Amino acid sequence: MTPVWLGLIGLALALPVPALLARATWPHLAPAAGIVLWQSLALAAVLAISGSATATALWLVTHDELTWWRVALHFTLLAIGVLVWARFWWAAWQVLSETATRRARNRRLVDLLGEPHGALPAVRILAEQTPVAYCIPRLGDSRVVISSGTVDSLDDDSLQAVLEHERAHVHLRHDLVLEAFGVLHRAFPHPLRTDAPLRQSQILVELMADDAARRTTGDKALARAIFTLAGADAPPGTLGAGGDPLLRLERLRSPATPLARGASAAASLVLSAVVIVGPTLTLAVPWIHHALTVL
Amino acid sequence: MTRLGELERSVMNVLWDSSAPMTVRDVLDSLDEDRGLAYTTVMTVLDRLGTKEMVQRERDGRAFRYSPAISRDEATSELLNDALEQAGGDRTAALVHFARTVDPSEAEALRAALDEILARTDP
Repeated sequence: MTPVWLGLIGLALALPVPALLARATWPHLAPAAGIVLWQSLALAAVLAISGSATATALWLVTHDELTWWRVALHFTLLAIGVLVWARFWWAAWQVLSETATRRARNRRLVDLLGEPHGALPAVRILAEQTPVAYCIPRLGDSRVVISSGTVDSLDDDSLQAVLEHERAHVHLRHDLVLEAFGVLHRAFPHPLRTDAPLRQSQILVELMADDAARRTTGDKALARAIFTLAGADAPPGTLGAGGDPLLRLERLRSPATPLARGASAAASLVLSAVVIVGPTLTLAVPWIHHALTVL
Repeated sequence: MTRLGELERSVMNVLWDSSAPMTVRDVLDSLDEDRGLAYTTVMTVLDRLGTKEMVQRERDGRAFRYSPAISRDEATSELLNDALEQAGGDRTAALVHFARTVDPSEAEALRAALDEILARTDP
C-alpha cells in the first residue's frame, strides 16, 4: 500500500492543498514562516511523488513471480522517473540562465542611464515619470532603481520606506526564493502545476519587505508610499504602480497583534514539519526498511 | 560607482546627445576638459561599451566612428517594459513594484485604507 498512499499524498500536496492554502490569509501575518511552509509543501510533494514511483517500481519486480509485463512496467516507471528529473534540471538551467542574462542586460542599461544617488551608492535614478521602484539583485553589488517620478511624488519618509523595502529584498535574498519557485513552476508537469506557490511566494516576499520598511519608517510613511506607487492618483487606463497594493494597505490598516503573528508563524512551521516528517516517518522509513530486506 | 563606470556613463551620454557618429577624438573633446583624460582611456571605454553591445562602430577612412547601439528612449522603454512584464509574470530577474492599471473601485478602496491609516493616532 505504500506506493498508493505516497501517491495520494503527493497529488494532494501538489494540487488541492496549495489551492486551499492560497485562499487563506493567516500566513500573511508571519510571511517568513509562510515562505517556509510553501517551500516545505513543494519539497514534500516532490518527495512523495518520487517515493511513490520508486516504491511501485520495486513492488513490480519483488512480488510474485516475474512476468514480462511486470518487468516492462518496472523499466517504464524508471524511464519516466529519469525523464522527470531531466526535465527538472533543464527547467532549472533555463530559468537561472534566462534570469541571469536579463538581469545583466538590465543592470548594464541602468548603470548607463541612471543618475547615481550621491549618498546611496546602490541607488540609480531613472529620468522617467512613471512611478517605478525595483531592485536588480546581485551578491554584494545590487542596484535599487527608482524613477524621478517616484522621487518627485514621495515625501522624504515615504521615499525612505521605498528604499528600505527594496533593500530588504536584496538583503533577505528574495531573488533566490523566487527563482526556486520559478524553477519548480516550470519543472512541474502541466497536470500537476498550479500558479499558487509562485504567486503566493511573490506576495509573501513583498510582505516581508514591507515589515522591514515599517520597522524603520513606520506604518504611515510606508502606506503613503504603497498608495503613490499604486498609481491610484493616475488617470484610469494609465499605468500605475502595483504589487498587490490593496492587500498590503489592508494589512497596515489592521495590524496584527504579536500573539496573532506568533500563532501564524507557529501554524506555518508546524504544518511544514508535518508534511515533511509525517510521510517520511510513517511511510518512507518502513518502506526503506522493507526494501533493504527484500533486496 | 567606479571611475570606469562613471566614464562609461559620460561617454554614453555624449554619444546619445550627438546627432552623428563620433570618432574617439570627438568624444574626448566633448567630455569635460578638466578631466585630463587620455585618448587611449576614451578608446578603452568605447571598446568596453562595444563588448557590452551598447555602441556600434563603423570604419571611416583610417578611424572608427562610434554611435549608440540603442537610443536613450529605447533603453528606457526596454527597462520599463521588462519591469512591467515581470510585475505580471515570472518575476525573477528584478523585484518590481509597479505597473498595472488601477480601476476606479480599487483606487477608492486604496484611498479609504490610506485615509484610515493616516488618521490613526500613533501610540
